[in-house]
Amino acid sequence: MKVLVTAKRVVDYNVSIRVLSDNSGVDLNNVKMSVNPFDEIAIEEAVRLKEAGKVEEVIVLSIGTSASQEQIRTCLALGADRGILIETDVEVQPLAIAKCIKAIIDKEQPSLIITGKQAIDGDNSQTGQMVAALAGLAQATFASKIELNEDTATVTREIDGGLEVITVKLPAVVTTDLRLNEPRYASLPNIMKAKKKPVEVLTPEDLGVDVTPRVKTLKVTPPAERKAGIIVETVEALVDKLKNEAKVIS
Amino acid sequence: MLDLLRTELSCGIATDAETLQKYGLDWTRFYAPNALAVIFPTTVDEVVALVKFANLHRLALVPSGGRTGLSGGAVAMNGELVVSFEKMNRILDFDPIDHYAVVQPGVITANLQAFAAEHDCLYPVDFASAGSSQIGGNIATNAGGIKVLRYGLTRDWVVGLKVVTGTGELLDLNKGLVKNATGYDFRHLFIGSEGTLGFIVEATIRLAPRPRNLNVILLAVPEMAKIIAVLETFRRHVSLTAYEFFSEQALQHVINHTGGKHPFAEQSSFYALLEYEVVSAEDVDASLAAFESCLDAGLTTDGVISASETQRRDLWRLRENISESITPFTPYKNDVAVRVSRVPEFLAAVDAEVGQRYPNFEIVWFGHIGDGNLHLNILKPADWTVAAFKAECELVSGHIMRIVAEFDGSISAEHGVGLLKRDQLTFSRSMVEIDLMRSVKAVFDPNNIMNPGKLLS
Ligand SMILES: Cc1cc2nc3c(=O)[nH]c(=O)nc-3n(C[C@H](O)[C@H](O)[C@H](O)COP(=O)(O)OP(=O)(O)OC[C@H]3O[C@@H](n4cnc5c(N)ncnc54)[C@H](O)[C@@H]3O)c2cc1C
Repeated sequence: MKVLVTAKRVVDYNVSIRVLSDNSGVDLNNVKMSVNPFDEIAIEEAVRLKEAGKVEEVIVLSIGTSASQEQIRTCLALGADRGILIETDVEVQPLAIAKCIKAIIDKEQPSLIITGKQAIDGDNSQTGQMVAALAGLAQATFASKIELNEDTATVTREIDGGLEVITVKLPAVVTTDLRLNEPRYASLPNIMKAKKKPVEVLTPEDLGVDVTPRVKTLKVTPPAERKAGIIVETVEALVDKLKNEAKVIS
Repeated sequence: MLDLLRTELSCGIATDAETLQKYGLDWTRFYAPNALAVIFPTTVDEVVALVKFANLHRLALVPSGGRTGLSGGAVAMNGELVVSFEKMNRILDFDPIDHYAVVQPGVITANLQAFAAEHDCLYPVDFASAGSSQIGGNIATNAGGIKVLRYGLTRDWVVGLKVVTGTGELLDLNKGLVKNATGYDFRHLFIGSEGTLGFIVEATIRLAPRPRNLNVILLAVPEMAKIIAVLETFRRHVSLTAYEFFSEQALQHVINHTGGKHPFAEQSSFYALLEYEVVSAEDVDASLAAFESCLDAGLTTDGVISASETQRRDLWRLRENISESITPFTPYKNDVAVRVSRVPEFLAAVDAEVGQRYPNFEIVWFGHIGDGNLHLNILKPADWTVAAFKAECELVSGHIMRIVAEFDGSISAEHGVGLLKRDQLTFSRSMVEIDLMRSVKAVFDPNNIMNPGKLLS
């Protein structure tokens, strides 16, 4: 069985981002970039399935600038077998990304596609669902547990107020939630070995996909700054402020 | 005395048992506190008035910071007045051209770090207790920590210092100058003086440019003796910001305490944690080349690397949580240093000594080994009393100190002398030096009211 996982290059989760002074976007100059954390979970899951003997090959796919090679290499070190980069300098939006993934599905015919439930840069949470729709596959989103059977997958989903267990026919698209697993560290010997693993570089044109953005960003602004708090001396003063200034109690 | 204090001084004073117990102790667990009272000055003027009052009445004062000290420097056990700086906790100014922050002594170290980050700078002095320790305490102990290899000690970041001497004189030292060749630099005398010459009441701190991208590598190192060869190899390839080491035992304590996962499939006797700056992809390649050299030379058997900032922090936690995770075992801490080149020989000598003499104590090895600094922690067996254990450890220490002296090392690399190491000072400093220290103290504190009994007997 073949598994396709996706890995997006995003601003590291712990970086406090700055908005450019002309409000055209976020300052990416000299900022630490990493694999989207939900994609890290997707890779980990695929590698575990391989280690458990349920999967023969793990392919990692990234769509973005040539710098995304770095994230593909990381995933290869974590245990993926080969990489595919769809290289473009265009700002790729969820629909364009989904079409690229669909093109690779057509080419590679994987039995399982695992993506993050969202990428932490745009926080869209659209790609996995769009891929399933475009490719006409079953989908199991927000997975916290995946069990592979002969030609189905049983997936536990995190939903509002609880868990839902569903069984989907393979091939299927699964998107990962935080609790699915805890990703491992990349080992240095594996990073060295990963250098020899193949990475195929394609362009959207090669795949006949139009990645022209459909949505135009007009303006990016930072969230309003929170006012500094104050320390009140007594409980009475606190109650007074809550009543008369914050007006949260009456 | 308490009534006099209350009538003559405007500061808040606490005398309840709980406060006396809490503020009478630092992180050491070997002393019974006995403080007269705890006083909380809020301004420099109040500190001056307090010291003048104490001089008049020959009242001993113990300056108290975040009380994370590991040598009993902030312990009050002889009826002293504890002077807490926690109410003087404001950052007063930032200069965007000099990149200086002006701080009161009670500013928590981590708050200065956060303030620096807000201004796109770095306050590089960092260690596990930074969330509680204060800048005043850091200056008084010349604190080191995990980034000394690249950024030096607290001393290297203090460009101006306001102190109140033991006679109540306010000195404004160096005033932020980069160059100032005008005689004795008292600033440096006060840094690391453990409150024995006067109080630190304000500091001007230089901030560093912030590194953009740091990677952490954790290496499995089969033998302690190989630690420095690994350092040497990596130094030739990358710009290191930290180099730490710890034993499998230390790691096990952290895992038991915090419940994390072991970072390696196979255990190793020792680990080296190194951090380096990544400016371009070439730096990562260089670190891999260094790893390959180490692997070929048999210096390491395996390694992992952080792929994200989250992983970088998680790997650091394995090192930073050691102290906290062994605290329940009442560890007796040896904080010793030798020249980096002599570390392997020194480790072998200490290992042989403690292994032979004290086979029944659990010994936890870790430290800022890139600076030649070893933290050797001896854990108290559950069935030993604290007193018997401390007495036995002092015997162990005697042997370790003798080895330190043979290697021309320091008996206290960064934790200061305080009460705990006072009687071992002769292993690192000559009698002439110690006498001169006494004379210096007498100049600044003629009535011996500033932290008496600490550092010097
Ligand atoms: C988990 C842990 C890890 C640690 N790691 C490190 C490390 O890596 N490197 C390191 O160097 N230290 C380390 N320490 C030791 C300790 O944190 C440092 O010595 C720190 O600088 C002490 O600061 P503090 O504010 O807690 O001082 P305190 O413990 O309150 O006092 C320390 C000394 O300074 C004096 N003092 C305090 N404030 C003033 C003032 N305003 N004026 C004059 N004298 C004053 C006190 O009288 C005392 O002698 C560690 C401690 C812990 C608990």
